[in-house]
Amino acid sequence: MAKHETPLLDELEKGPWPSFVTDLKQQAETKPECWDILGQLELSYVDRITHWKHGGIVGVFGYGGGIVGRYSDVPDKFPGVEHFHTVRIAQPSGLYYSTENLRALMDLWEKYGSGVTNMHGSTGDMIFLGTRTENLEPLFWDLTHDLNQDLGGSGSNLRTPACCLGESRCEWACYDAQEICNALTQHYQDEIHRPAFPYKFKFKFSACPNDCVAAIARSDFAVIGTWKDDIRIDQAAVKQYMAGAEGYPANGGSHKGGNWGAFDIQKEVVDLCPTNCMWMEGDELKIDNSECTRCMHCINVMPRALRPGVEKGASICIGAKAPILDGAQFATLVIPFIEVSAEDEFGEVIDVIEKVWDWWMEVGKNRERVGETMQRIGLPTFLSVMEVEPIPQHVKEPRSNPYVFWKEEEVPGGWERDVVEFRKKHAA
Amino acid sequence: MALSIEELEAAIIEKAKKSPKPQLYIKDFYACDPDAKPREIKKVANALVTKGELMFWSSGSTTMYARPDRIQNDD
Repeated sequence: MAKHETPLLDELEKGPWPSFVTDLKQQAETKPECWDILGQLELSYVDRITHWKHGGIVGVFGYGGGIVGRYSDVPDKFPGVEHFHTVRIAQPSGLYYSTENLRALMDLWEKYGSGVTNMHGSTGDMIFLGTRTENLEPLFWDLTHDLNQDLGGSGSNLRTPACCLGESRCEWACYDAQEICNALTQHYQDEIHRPAFPYKFKFKFSACPNDCVAAIARSDFAVIGTWKDDIRIDQAAVKQYMAGAEGYPANGGSHKGGNWGAFDIQKEVVDLCPTNCMWMEGDELKIDNSECTRCMHCINVMPRALRPGVEKGASICIGAKAPILDGAQFATLVIPFIEVSAEDEFGEVIDVIEKVWDWWMEVGKNRERVGETMQRIGLPTFLSVMEVEPIPQHVKEPRSNPYVFWKEEEVPGGWERDVVEFRKKHAA
Repeated sequence: MALSIEELEAAIIEKAKKSPKPQLYIKDFYACDPDAKPREIKKVANALVTKGELMFWSSGSTTMYARPDRIQNDD
């Protein structure tokens, strides 16, 4: 039986879609504290302000992240949520769980917490919502000793690295996203578990430009698979697509059954190329690869005819973020191509990461994402720090400042001059 | 680093004791030794947490440092 009247929340149970209110009521049958979540949320709807106190000093010994303190500011009314801390559990690369592992995690959370989860948080962690301070250490012990799993990142730490399925299932993968994700998770244990930076820092690894983990929009450091050479074309397969042959459905068959009519390569592929780098010569598809911007549309539409090239690696884009300060922004392409190789233990990528960190830790303000630091200081300075030569694509808009600020090394003779010689022609 | 580890630890503790606000960002400790690299300061500050001289305070998105005797838990 309901512990609190929740007329406003009850409205959210109407309609054909799933409702978290219904889920919490169901959970409250075995976890009574869930009534108090509903009661406090109802009060927040009435008062139009949150009743959670944000943050705190909770955590597990030796770690400076992974637990986020949450306390009710009306604990007398809702004692079940007096403490309601969040626990972030590091996700496996590519989010591959065994059912045995998922059951063990759920049993652990039923034992020590509310049983309420968020699968997954935007960093990728499995989020356990709601436990008391005294349960944290026992939960952490069981998680690490019995399940051999770890907490994820929070606060000013490196957040839990996330990746796509990569080579495990995807034919377009240009590097092994899961391998590097796991390797850098191990390499940067200190940065994940203890604060290191002015603010949060996120890695995300997408093995091809489809960017299934949205690295370019959601991570400070996006490693997105790409290729150097030409898109591989099987002209015989192109003809099969054009003929609508059995086994060659456009878009891998994802529009099968729809009333789309016959496949039209000109309309559905060539005309949609954002850089106009494709054309037909008779029944042969031609591509000016130097103009390809890696949108992946043609490859997605005709996967049996077109494939990424064979010289594979990744592009590194830096500085994406959500809109807390100056609005949301995509990451900026900084390194157009880099080898991503386990043979050198991903040394080339690590060199880039640490250049970014050294600069940002020095000049970044408190609570400033690296993308905001780049914006404040300016891309030319950032590129110079990264030892990257600017290219035309780095120019966002024609300049509006008429002044040119030269660096000493760009001026013949530098700033030094012979004052005696100068004074021979110019009185003091 | 101009200071030894012990001197830097003492400077960080002093800063955490005397700062007007009990919670400090890692950057607030940079001034304790302007010649030290940010990572060196971070390592010393985190080691002080392990020793119990400082503690972490986290909002979830940002982590700050504080002296245990200057900050109260909500428990």
